[in-house]
Amino acid sequence: MAQIGYSKKVMDHFMNPRNVGVIDDADGYGKVGNPVCGDLMEIFIKVKDERINDIKFRTFGCGSAIAVSSMVTEMAKGKLLDEAMEITRKDVADELDGLPPQKMHCSNLGADALHAAIQDYWVKTGKIKLDEVKKEDDGEGDACPT
Amino acid sequence: MSFMQGIYLDNQSAMLPDPRVLDFAKRHLIEVPGNPSALHSVGLAAKSAVEEAREKVAELINAEDARNIIFTGSATEANNLAIRGTAMRNASKGMSLLASRIEHISVLNSMKDLQKNGFQLQLIPVDSRGIVDLQALERMISKQTIVTSVMYANGEIGTIEPIKEISHIVHEKGMLLHVDATAAAGRIPIDVQNDGIDLLTLSSNDICGPQGAGALYAGPDVKIQPVTVGGGQERGLRPGTENLFAIAGMGEAARLARLEMNDDSIRLKAIRDSLIREILKIDETHLTGHATNRLPHHASFRFDRIEGESILLTLDAMFDIQVSTGSACSSRTLEPSHVLLALGLKHEQAHGSMVMTLGKSNHPDQIPVVFDAVKKTVARLRALSPL
Amino acid sequence: MSDIVPDAELDCIGLYCPLPLSMAKENIANIDIGQVLKIQADDPDAEKDIPGWAKRAGHQILMFERSGQVATFWIKRIR
Repeated sequence: MAQIGYSKKVMDHFMNPRNVGVIDDADGYGKVGNPVCGDLMEIFIKVKDERINDIKFRTFGCGSAIAVSSMVTEMAKGKLLDEAMEITRKDVADELDGLPPQKMHCSNLGADALHAAIQDYWVKTGKIKLDEVKKEDDGEGDACPT
Repeated sequence: MSFMQGIYLDNQSAMLPDPRVLDFAKRHLIEVPGNPSALHSVGLAAKSAVEEAREKVAELINAEDARNIIFTGSATEANNLAIRGTAMRNASKGMSLLASRIEHISVLNSMKDLQKNGFQLQLIPVDSRGIVDLQALERMISKQTIVTSVMYANGEIGTIEPIKEISHIVHEKGMLLHVDATAAAGRIPIDVQNDGIDLLTLSSNDICGPQGAGALYAGPDVKIQPVTVGGGQERGLRPGTENLFAIAGMGEAARLARLEMNDDSIRLKAIRDSLIREILKIDETHLTGHATNRLPHHASFRFDRIEGESILLTLDAMFDIQVSTGSACSSRTLEPSHVLLALGLKHEQAHGSMVMTLGKSNHPDQIPVVFDAVKKTVARLRALSPL
Repeated sequence: MSDIVPDAELDCIGLYCPLPLSMAKENIANIDIGQVLKIQADDPDAEKDIPGWAKRAGHQILMFERSGQVATFWIKRIR
């Protein structure tokens, strides 16, 4: 069932999203997007031996946003933090067999939220300083990146 | 995906044309395919089909004379003709245009386009239920305001406008009133004479006619000029070979709507009201538009903390129920609907909207099924939401 | 007249909201980061909408020119 040209994979991740939920004692937490724009993603990670041991997400947003969140958490689970930082927006969209052009920014949010969670962990563990964090997106501002 | 298997609640965007309408109109593709401008018997038969359709459309809106109906290719085209055709023809009398904030984009952009010709456009605010602010209208209108455009009812929020009151103000302080009746025609009675309407837009597919036709009613004292120029069809106001199939179909649809509208509206209102009552039981759920002055087949809501496109997709993919949404994500620009924002809603509130429009395929047995599906959909998406 | 040579051009003259904005978004996605998109529009709202969007999306407006009713933007894709 294709809507707005959504691929089967996108619909699958939308209908059966993986890794939904919160982690109360998360090691890293990332939040990007803005309800004003219609997209907000949260990602929680548990880290063990520099690997993402567990990962959960919550998303307010359209079909693409939910599918992207599900896919990015699936891609990141079990990876080393450095590897997970390498996951790009395009990788997520490709894994989903592509997104309609006006929805590409949703894939941005997925990758950004993951990176934000990882960087949060690094700040908490002293590996990087707060001002070294690469800000790809401002979750609190009124920017509607697209 | 069969159209008839699921529960179809998006009659506003498209409906199956009434089979009786198709049967009637089909004859004009097969038996009477003439060009209405030709002078021989085949042409004359086609011409008579167009004139018969014109009479039927005129009767639907109680137009004083069928000749005041001009067929176009769509409601958008009728809106363009109403706005541009009237403004340009009467520019010597005034250069001001008014429209409500919730008009269809074909009205708003027509007026915007006229700014290039020196016209000024102002937008009349609406209240939180979508009703035009009459005091603001009185302040904004002047004797230079050639056209004021307010829709009969809004298709996104169902609100029916106080057209009679608006007409009084426009005729007392301004000039002409244009009313886009795309969403209202065939659902509620329209009487252009009694309601004081100078120009009225109609859409064929919105009254269960075929796509490809619309109509503009222009009252006896209204002077307009064509937007599309060419030969003499439609008194020169909308030249081009007539879409006989669609026009004949539109006429028959208008006739059936006039006869069946009252019974239909009683039946659909009952379903609508049950749906509204049930769905409002869900937490953090709000009705959009006016609670009582609303189209009989129209139920529109917004849900806090979840997003419209994902509501639409879940209902479709999981429950085979089709609805519409005014949500940003489902439009090309990702900007939320200008109608919802005009109600004073914040962007984040405007994202969680769902619009249900009932039609011939809907019946009361569907209500509990729909309510259950909406409840589960909202619960599923709220569980996913960080808000 | 500008010396900037755009990598892609988008002509929105005669088109009204929401088309200029939605086409700008689509077209910028089709060029590479660092490349330049030239947009022409005569919708009065576009003069406000396009810089607003570019700023929020993080793109750089290299240059802006107005000639009569036509506004021209040269926008560099940053992200």
